[in-house]
Amino acid sequence: MEYPNKQRIPYWNWVPAAFALSGVILFIFATYGPPASSSGFVSLLKGFFEWAAPDYVAAKAHYQSIPGPGSWVFAFVLGMAIGGFIAGRTSRDIPVRDMPPIWVKRFGAGRAKRYAATFFGGLLILFGSRLAGGCTLGLFISGSTQLAISGIYFGVVIFAVAMLTARLIFGKVSEKEDIQ
Amino acid sequence: MTNIWLGLFSGIAFGFVIQRMGATDAHRMARSHLMLDADIPRFMVLAVALSAVGLFGLQSVGVGRILPLPTSIVATGLAAVIFGIGWGLTGYCPGTTWAAAGEGRLDAVFALLGGLAGAALFAHLHEMLIPVLYDPTNAGRITLTDLFGHQAVAVAALALGFGLCAWGIGKLWRHDNVEKNN
Repeated sequence: MEYPNKQRIPYWNWVPAAFALSGVILFIFATYGPPASSSGFVSLLKGFFEWAAPDYVAAKAHYQSIPGPGSWVFAFVLGMAIGGFIAGRTSRDIPVRDMPPIWVKRFGAGRAKRYAATFFGGLLILFGSRLAGGCTLGLFISGSTQLAISGIYFGVVIFAVAMLTARLIFGKVSEKEDIQ
Repeated sequence: MTNIWLGLFSGIAFGFVIQRMGATDAHRMARSHLMLDADIPRFMVLAVALSAVGLFGLQSVGVGRILPLPTSIVATGLAAVIFGIGWGLTGYCPGTTWAAAGEGRLDAVFALLGGLAGAALFAHLHEMLIPVLYDPTNAGRITLTDLFGHQAVAVAALALGFGLCAWGIGKLWRHDNVEKNN
């Protein structure tokens, strides 16, 4: 085994976890179609704007291409939140924290800075996802599973850029100290 | 209505598994990006390899619906760069923000709100950006089958390629956990 001391690693082993995830992915392909999560954001917004500004939604191609919240795509992301909640409540060992320790080491414990950064980062990941037509799940995982060049291309670039970005931001602190 | 229950059930199962892998923990994701923890990336690529083989099986018995997205050289690439910066900075991707927010991580709630803002911004600019960035270099819904000429060969190549990635990530990424425990 790779981790002799089980107590220190609260996470599942990656091999059975990959089997479990692909089981879920195949269930989705069989019962619905290609899984996607960034569409859920658009779906929620569509529901909001249909109530607040129906003419705006009717005139916008992007909202016309995605169903409103009474759909699989929104039910899926809502389910993800419920799944995260259940998983969080049933695990005593996996730490739930608002501030990643590596962030605190790099930028301090100020919450405003972290929340502003995740808001901005969230904006970037969804803007990028909607431009490409999908995200880590909807384009990389589900696209590559369908052998799509778009999924493989997107996956290679997001990993390369994220690894470079993380290195530029956290590279120094991760070398200096033991961040566990 | 069935679709809503199926979506909800699928989401709960998906969210549960990724939480158990630590993929909802931005700290662990940052360590993955820094090549200090191999488990999340190799879990992802192995899941793709297994799913591709499984989907080939489903299709051969006529089950499932597929719809590969088109490849736009400029738009898909540029989108991936923007996405990668956000992913490297926050440690969250669109799916994990929902699961992490459900878990109770406050920074993920802000990532989710930022995501709504980003999606609204793109939807607003869709008519302006798609003809400029996406359409000119849109190569269509191309797949590995077009490249290899035969679907079974393409599935085998993808499964082998991603399987090798999973193995390579295990070799290239550092194993701090192992060193500490030994």
